[in-house]
Amino acid sequence: MRHRQGRSDTLIVGVKYCGGCKAGYDRVAAVDSLKTRLSGVVEFVAPVDAAASLILVVTGCRTACAEIDSADGRPLTYITSAEDAERWAADILRIHS
Amino acid sequence: MAKLMNAREYEESLRRLKLTVYQFGKRVENVVDDPLIRPSMNAVASTYEYAHRPEYEDILTTKSHLTGEKINRFTHIHQSVDDLVKKSKMGRLMGSLTACCFQRCVGMDALNALSITTHAIDEKYGTEYHKRFLKYLLYVQENDLVCDGAMTDPKGDRSLAPSKQRDPDMFMRVTEELPDGIVVSGAKAHQTGAVNSHEIIIMPTITMREEDKDYAISCALPADAQGITYIMGRQSCDTRKLEGMTFDRGNMFYGGHEALVVFDKVFVPWERVFMYKEYEFTTALVENFAAYHRQSYACKVGVGDVLIGAAQTIAEFNGAEKASHVKDKIIEMNHLNETLFCGCIACAAEGHREASGTYQNDLLLANVHKQNITRFPYEIARLAQDIAGGLVVTCPSEQDLKSPEVGAWVEKYFKGRTDIPTEHRLRILRLIENITMGTAAVGYLTESMHGAGSPQAQRIMIARLVNMKQKQKVARQLCGIDKVDQIR
Repeated sequence: MRHRQGRSDTLIVGVKYCGGCKAGYDRVAAVDSLKTRLSGVVEFVAPVDAAASLILVVTGCRTACAEIDSADGRPLTYITSAEDAERWAADILRIHS
Repeated sequence: MAKLMNAREYEESLRRLKLTVYQFGKRVENVVDDPLIRPSMNAVASTYEYAHRPEYEDILTTKSHLTGEKINRFTHIHQSVDDLVKKSKMGRLMGSLTACCFQRCVGMDALNALSITTHAIDEKYGTEYHKRFLKYLLYVQENDLVCDGAMTDPKGDRSLAPSKQRDPDMFMRVTEELPDGIVVSGAKAHQTGAVNSHEIIIMPTITMREEDKDYAISCALPADAQGITYIMGRQSCDTRKLEGMTFDRGNMFYGGHEALVVFDKVFVPWERVFMYKEYEFTTALVENFAAYHRQSYACKVGVGDVLIGAAQTIAEFNGAEKASHVKDKIIEMNHLNETLFCGCIACAAEGHREASGTYQNDLLLANVHKQNITRFPYEIARLAQDIAGGLVVTCPSEQDLKSPEVGAWVEKYFKGRTDIPTEHRLRILRLIENITMGTAAVGYLTESMHGAGSPQAQRIMIARLVNMKQKQKVARQLCGIDKVDQIR
């Protein structure tokens, strides 16, 4: 995975939201929680940021209709619920430790 | 280069318009800051502001098929079934964020209907309406404009055709043809968001015959063109907005508005004329617009989301949320609301490509969806009032709650659960009142009934569009009236 220059231990992740027409959870709050929990481990950026090595697609439901053109071939991880976000955070922390 | 305005830029763009607006018999000099109108401006502004938020932009923005540039979806011509589905989702999203009519769908629907019909007229007559339309569309997209799709004529005596009316202005018409354009007169009624619009797009309201060809016109006008006057419609409880920012207004931020728009000898240059006496295309334009606009009532699902949230909240504030009948009523509200969502998604998912390249909804399902919209919000509103209790219509004003003389009694006697401030209880009741019988009920209930065509208009379309012969054929075969070799 690519990292920002000078911060080799920080994973750069682009956050792409769906439009949120009938979100089953608070997507923004879930990402804010990830930012807090993964502070120093993950840097969250806009999906168009070329530095991002992974795109976190945060969708309000399992329809997951977000446009992913901006991923530009980079790997995608889907978050479709608050539980998904928790699991992903735990995975990242486990790998990082 | 397309400009994607934010809320502040949109507000500033409105300030540059020189509209002639009347309200309570007086000219409104400052439309944007008028306390009755401003909440509706806020609602439109939210369609601009949320388009810049990462968590909403996936629905509220897209790429222009003309330039490939990022645009607000409200100025987009649908290029796929996915675009149609996103449009339904956008309606729900914006309704759920504002709890009112955000006024911008009607212009989008007019643009899409014209994209189909101008192409069709050109195919038959070799005219250049579609070329004109695309140039106009580019202008709208590049400047991120709000268009008022103006279809509803006053109509006068409903038993008479436009050309047979005693007053010829009962339907919008051409009064003069000039070398550089036309002059139009008449009026459009019930125009939602009219004074928050940069442009007015005129369309005929019914099928026109040859004798009515002077009424078969479609064109676009700047909202402040000379000769246009706006007369604001009243809404139930509207003057509560004149009482300052008390919670008695229910929705503290947003609202809608409607106006009668009068066109008194207004000049339209040819490059803004999209139909001129081609009366045989009026049916197609009206039906295409209706199919799009009937889908647009997806917004009521979003308003329903807020109302259901308010009903659950007042049930909790009353300490009644665990009562089985209350839980069942909330389930019923959700069932009705999600059924409405099914309709607007289904008509989009079954959409198709027209010759112009524009995607159109399934007409039958769009009409079925709108027919449901004429009914279900009323039942959802009834259930919300049932759960809320009588206090929704009897609670004193915010001033009484804050009164040094009687405030303590209002506080004491309208307390529900002890851990909930009385003010919170009254605030949520005022929101329920606002949506079910106040200013927002204009949009949630009566507009659901009559907007985009009254219920009977959809029933006529449903009768016309179902394949009754096929239904009968199979019924006759299965009961043995008509013989078939074998049922597979």
